[in-house]
Amino acid sequence: MRKTTLIMLSTIFIILCYFTTVSAVRVFQSDLELPKEITPDQTQYRLVLITQDIDTPFWDQVGRAAENKARELGVSLEIWGNYGSHQEDFLKNIEIAIQSKVDGIIVQGLDSQAFKELTKVKASFYGIPIITVANDVPMDESLRRTYVGSNQYQAGRMIAAQLIADMGPSGNVVLMYNHNPEHYQQQRLQGIEDSLKNYPDISIDYAETESTRDEVITATQAVLNKVPNAYAFIAVNANTVGAMIQEISKRYQPEPFFIYSFDDGPESLTLVEQGLLDGIIKQSPEQMGSQSVKLMTEWLKGETVPLDANGYLTEIQIMKATDIP
Amino acid sequence: MSKIQKKIWTVSMVILAIMSAIWITLTYYNNKTLNQYNEILERYLNMNEVTNASQQVIDDLNDYMLHPSLDNLEQIELSKRKVLQAKNDVYNLRNEENNFNLTNYIHLIDSFIEATDRFIIFYSENEVEASAKEFTEATSISNHISDMTLTLIDKELKTYDRIYLGIITQSKDLKELGIWLILLIAFMLLVMSYWFSRSITKPVLQLTKAANELSKGRFDEQVKVDTNDEIAFLAKTFDHMRININKLFLETKQKAQLEHELQQNKILLQESQFRSLQSQINPHFLFNTLNTLSKKAYLEGSQETSDLLVNVAGLLRYNLKQMDRSVTLREEVVVLQQYMEIQKARLTDRLKIHMEIDEACLDIKIPTLTLQPLIENAVIHAIEPREDGGNIWVRILNGDKRITIEIEDDGMGMEADKIEQILLEKYKQTEGHSTGIGFSNVVKRLRLFYGYDDVIEIESVLDRYTKIVLKLPILRRENNDTAPNRG
Repeated sequence: MRKTTLIMLSTIFIILCYFTTVSAVRVFQSDLELPKEITPDQTQYRLVLITQDIDTPFWDQVGRAAENKARELGVSLEIWGNYGSHQEDFLKNIEIAIQSKVDGIIVQGLDSQAFKELTKVKASFYGIPIITVANDVPMDESLRRTYVGSNQYQAGRMIAAQLIADMGPSGNVVLMYNHNPEHYQQQRLQGIEDSLKNYPDISIDYAETESTRDEVITATQAVLNKVPNAYAFIAVNANTVGAMIQEISKRYQPEPFFIYSFDDGPESLTLVEQGLLDGIIKQSPEQMGSQSVKLMTEWLKGETVPLDANGYLTEIQIMKATDIP
Repeated sequence: MSKIQKKIWTVSMVILAIMSAIWITLTYYNNKTLNQYNEILERYLNMNEVTNASQQVIDDLNDYMLHPSLDNLEQIELSKRKVLQAKNDVYNLRNEENNFNLTNYIHLIDSFIEATDRFIIFYSENEVEASAKEFTEATSISNHISDMTLTLIDKELKTYDRIYLGIITQSKDLKELGIWLILLIAFMLLVMSYWFSRSITKPVLQLTKAANELSKGRFDEQVKVDTNDEIAFLAKTFDHMRININKLFLETKQKAQLEHELQQNKILLQESQFRSLQSQINPHFLFNTLNTLSKKAYLEGSQETSDLLVNVAGLLRYNLKQMDRSVTLREEVVVLQQYMEIQKARLTDRLKIHMEIDEACLDIKIPTLTLQPLIENAVIHAIEPREDGGNIWVRILNGDKRITIEIEDDGMGMEADKIEQILLEKYKQTEGHSTGIGFSNVVKRLRLFYGYDDVIEIESVLDRYTKIVLKLPILRRENNDTAPNRG
């Protein structure tokens, strides 16, 4: 009897001890991990990558590559962007970056007066270097250090060549671009026009539009009415291609056109995969991201001075809907 | 300090220590958590302070533009200092996660201050356009600052979200620990108090039991308590008391027995004295008459009758002497011979007596009238019933340490239970004896005199013989003074 009681008491004691210990260990070990304090001498170059769009496949790739490179080089990099190409926010981001006196700004070029004012006047005033990426703004207008991205003229030529290869040397081609075409659009247009010039049977129609979806739809309708016998469409601004195709498919089922665009729009890749786009120009966003960070860092460290003012061109290639399995 | 008190103190101290430990731990953790909360809150407040201060600067700038007075200028300086102060506070909040943003933020504040300074310079130099531009710049930066404050706080919230979660989890864990601790301590305390109370009450119980036994008169059970406190001490003294009482008790018992023996002795003496007193007048008269008769018989030439009468008179005198005296064996033997003469005269040839006496041992002390009653007994039982008489042998033999007196007859013997009764002093005499002293009386007195029981032995075979053996120690003269007290 006495032995049983003793064993029972001991068991209870051991069980209680066990649970108490486990609980205590949990309490005493769960040290809250506050973010680490930084050592004062831990100064890194602070770079900002500012884009008009985030969360598009193209810019995601640019951002990821840039971040990887930044980590590799030991500089800190932030990516600022907004949704839906909101220009005001974009400009405000640039302004903040300048006023925050970051060490370098890598920015998607925007061919607007405000942008040029910011880069040319304000950034120079604060002494902040700017590298444009993907979309260029001429150096004398923006005082950018260099440009990292595709040769847009070459891209235009490439897409025109593909068009001719697909369509043949005759037909009506509609080029859709922004009302006030930005520098990169001008270059693309230039490339396309220069290529198509050699084919007298090809006639070019121009459709100008604003960036908003409604206006793209209106413009598309207008051009479909104006040029009923169009054979091919090229959306010079990749952002407009989604709305354009949507409108075209409303009218024609299946749509009978050759449609081409570029990969820097939010819907470009999906549309190619669905076969609605016949081909896009595939740029190298990863190369852009990593190279721009690398160049900026090198410039800041004084390793590569000056940077090539003509820009560092990245690879482009055509990607056809038929290539996709 | 006493042991029990010490025990109680120890238990209280242990409890107090445990409670304090728990209390301190819990308070410490609570404090820690509170500090963490505070720290986090402080961060938000610091950041917000920047926004407020910069807004204040803009207000002051505006005031200054409207009323360019020295007071307002001072006011600007004052609020600018506030901004700088807030900036310093914020500077300390840098950590790995918000380093980039916070550095930007600090630079933004710097830009803001610079813009303000430029504004004041331009304004003081009356460059209206430039100063207005700087004012716009400052305002826009101030807006950016408040925007960024929000962004920063948002980021802080994200960063500290998991810390909040951690704090909550920890407090939950702490609560759980508290419950387990309470259970454990409650259990421990229960067991401890049980043991502790038992350690006090058990010896008390043992003691109570012992006292109970003692009160019932059982003095031989040892009181034993195996603790090392006052109860054990109490038990020890109690045990001492028990032993002492036991000793006293035994002593009293012994004393009582002794007294009892003395009493008996006295009674026996009184009995014989009473008997002698009873026949005091008569024996004196008889004694004188006997002497007269003896002389008359002698004068008349009856020698034998005269001798017989002398013997009777001697026996009578011996018998009349103080009974509480010891005599020598020699005197006793003389009386015995006188008695034998008388009996011979009575029984003539039927009685044949054989005496073997070692003269060397006739000096020992012996109670009076010991041998005569035994012989008389032998005569009564062995000789008188038989017509052809019998033999009686009396031997006094000298031994090493003791003298042996043997009285043997060849009579009809004694039954075993009768022997036993005699030896146990329970035998009641029925036949009358000449001296009024019976067998039992002799046995008692011998035992009392010598102080041991086997002073007398009786051997007997029915129809064959009876042999009474007295084994007397040799008492020397120096013991004479004490001897009468015992006889």
